[in-house]
Amino acid sequence: MNLTPVWVVFLGSIFTNNILFASFLGMCSFLVVSNRIPTAIGLGTAVTFVMFCTTVINFLIYHYILVPLGLDFVSFIIFIAVIAAFVQFLEMFVERFSPSLYYALGIFLPLITVNCAILGASLFMVIRNYNLTQTVFYGLGAGLGWFLAIALMAGLREKMGYSNVPRALRRTGIVMLMAGVIAMTFMGFTGMLSTG
Amino acid sequence: MLPAILAVGVTTAVFIALAVFLLIAERYLVNYGVSNVSINEGSTIFEQDGGTTLLSALYDHKIFVPSACGGKGSCGFCKVVVPEGGGPVLPTELPFLSRAEQRSGVRLSCQVKIKQDIQIQIPEDLLAVKEYRARVSEIRQLTYDIKEINLELIEPEHISHHPGQYVQLQAPDPAGGFIHRAYSISSPVYDDTKVQLVVRLVPDGIASTYVHNLAVGDEVLFTGPYGEFRLNDDPDREIVLVGGGCGMAPLKNIVLTAENRWPGRKVKLFFGARTTKDIFYLDMFKELKEQHPNLEVVYALSDPLGPEEHWDGETGFVHLSVDKYLEQTSRRQAFLCGPPPMISAVMQILGEKGMNPDDIFYDKF
Amino acid sequence: MADSVTTAPVARRRFQPFGGKAGEILLEGVYKANPVTKQVLGICIFLAVTNRVANALVMGAALTFVTAMSNLFISALRNSIPRRIRMIAQVAIIATFVIMIDQFFRGFYWSMSKQLGPYVALIITNCIVMGRAEAYAMQNPPLPSLLDGIANGIGYAIILIFISIVRELVGSGSILGFTILPAAWYTKNLIFLLAPGAFFTGGFLIWILETISPSSQSEEGGERK
Repeated sequence: MNLTPVWVVFLGSIFTNNILFASFLGMCSFLVVSNRIPTAIGLGTAVTFVMFCTTVINFLIYHYILVPLGLDFVSFIIFIAVIAAFVQFLEMFVERFSPSLYYALGIFLPLITVNCAILGASLFMVIRNYNLTQTVFYGLGAGLGWFLAIALMAGLREKMGYSNVPRALRRTGIVMLMAGVIAMTFMGFTGMLSTG
Repeated sequence: MLPAILAVGVTTAVFIALAVFLLIAERYLVNYGVSNVSINEGSTIFEQDGGTTLLSALYDHKIFVPSACGGKGSCGFCKVVVPEGGGPVLPTELPFLSRAEQRSGVRLSCQVKIKQDIQIQIPEDLLAVKEYRARVSEIRQLTYDIKEINLELIEPEHISHHPGQYVQLQAPDPAGGFIHRAYSISSPVYDDTKVQLVVRLVPDGIASTYVHNLAVGDEVLFTGPYGEFRLNDDPDREIVLVGGGCGMAPLKNIVLTAENRWPGRKVKLFFGARTTKDIFYLDMFKELKEQHPNLEVVYALSDPLGPEEHWDGETGFVHLSVDKYLEQTSRRQAFLCGPPPMISAVMQILGEKGMNPDDIFYDKF
Repeated sequence: MADSVTTAPVARRRFQPFGGKAGEILLEGVYKANPVTKQVLGICIFLAVTNRVANALVMGAALTFVTAMSNLFISALRNSIPRRIRMIAQVAIIATFVIMIDQFFRGFYWSMSKQLGPYVALIITNCIVMGRAEAYAMQNPPLPSLLDGIANGIGYAIILIFISIVRELVGSGSILGFTILPAAWYTKNLIFLLAPGAFFTGGFLIWILETISPSSQSEEGGERK
């Protein structure tokens, strides 16, 4: 039983426990893909939606199928299968019912399947023993947190284009250092939610 | 044992459930039915199952729209005018379309998915493009990194092309599937049972590595001919050809074809290279000059000469030689083939010499 | 020469007449095309487990095991897997080995398992494992694939261990739990054990390595050629 109030779960997952700045998840696809804000927004929206839906679906499967049968160790395979299937379904659904949305987001969807943050959210949901309501707000919050993280970094990287970054730090190096500073800033949020 | 069996069973059950779910979703969501593809206001119509790209549909019907990247959306060659039925323009197409093109309905056919009845316009020339199977009949090493590949046509047996046109050679892609690369035809048009290519080996280049690994007897596939070079029929018009590197290919074709058809026509060929190691065909052109006094051939080397190199021809970049040897006149046609900076420099000089931009044809490599 | 995250390694290997000798494969995986520093893969796990040398050692071993075994099996099955379900099959094989190692830790090293948390499971989505499966194991016979998996795993592990030594030393004055810098005169820099420290150390590592042996990369902001 996890007794954390729902609003703490929500705000915590965005700020103090930011899935990228605190748990390091979702860096790979971001580093390789985007250094521009429009791309970051597209990717962020897609990830938030997928994270939200898959954590809830995985919660239901985990607690109503796997645990009663004592099969919790199979959860990894099931989670990743659900994520992959969901992303594929989403791609079809969006393309059919909203072509304009598909053209904006569709190219990001295949990238999301291997985004560690999505799987990570489901894993954290299990580790921290959230109930259904908590899971709902956690999935949403974690996604928004990731969105916030990459939007911040994309914005900073765009500005970096005008700075004289040492040659050896270009691309990955400077992003890491930037992320470190932002991570420190986010640590300052800890006082915001006294969970005890 | 029981937990293991149960695990495998439940996992398989979940997988099957997901697969079934996706299949059902696909049937209801992605089923577009059959659409009509109408080309050039109905001169050709065919039916196509929805969901495929326009490019692959056209290829299935033997209409070979040029494509270097094999439909991945990274070359921008497969442009087709789609007045109706193409849906909104995709972000993947925008980098390759100018504003004017977007306004007139130009699309990348590899990105347009057929979901409804669609009308397209394709230039007549493109409809004449065919797929050819050929066999490598001879390979000559021209310089340390340039090879001449001679292909004997198997089927169809003849190719009719204009001097300066190119073909799209098919090469296997290590990542799966095929890619196509454009290579100009260096054999003259009167030799219509063969196609000769001049290919430089580009480090890590998929197609050029494939070509340089070919052996005599190997079979290759290509589509063609493509390209808008058109030789003017007026024998009084001077022909100026400027090329760099493997841009020699189309120029050789034009020189041989022109001298064959109009033996007295003035032809000036300028070829730019870096060192004496990059020179090829010079002896062949010297022989040709003896039969055709109106042919002028200037090779210009841009790099400073090394200790063992002997060169008594022109030096410096090729556009400087063009400037030096051309007179003022507008009765002239020019064909340029080489890297973009060379093209820009030469075009400027040609403009100063009084040429009409419509008389200048170029291929940027 | 350095490789970037493209199919460049594949194109080169395909034209080697003898499929590459064992030593060359190992060298490529460990040094020339090191997953973290050159290919920028597996960052997530790298940042998470390098706060203690013990964690890094164990995770390095786990990843080597998973990459090697999944490379082996995927390579053995590479001609029998239908194209449409290729990715799913790869993921299933990788996930199986991850589950194996995770259960192993839970059974025999419970405290370590708790320390590593979800990061063992995240080996599944770790781009290194998938990357090697797709780029090497699908194209080459089982034995070289096994070696390639071991090499990449070791390359990753070396980096993990090296960085964790730095972080643990600076952060808690110890290595593997043994106090090296006594608390008497050394004030622990706790920030190095936390998230920011991970990012900074990673950034500095990349800085150093890029200065020593630069990759051929395009400039920041350059997109299409």
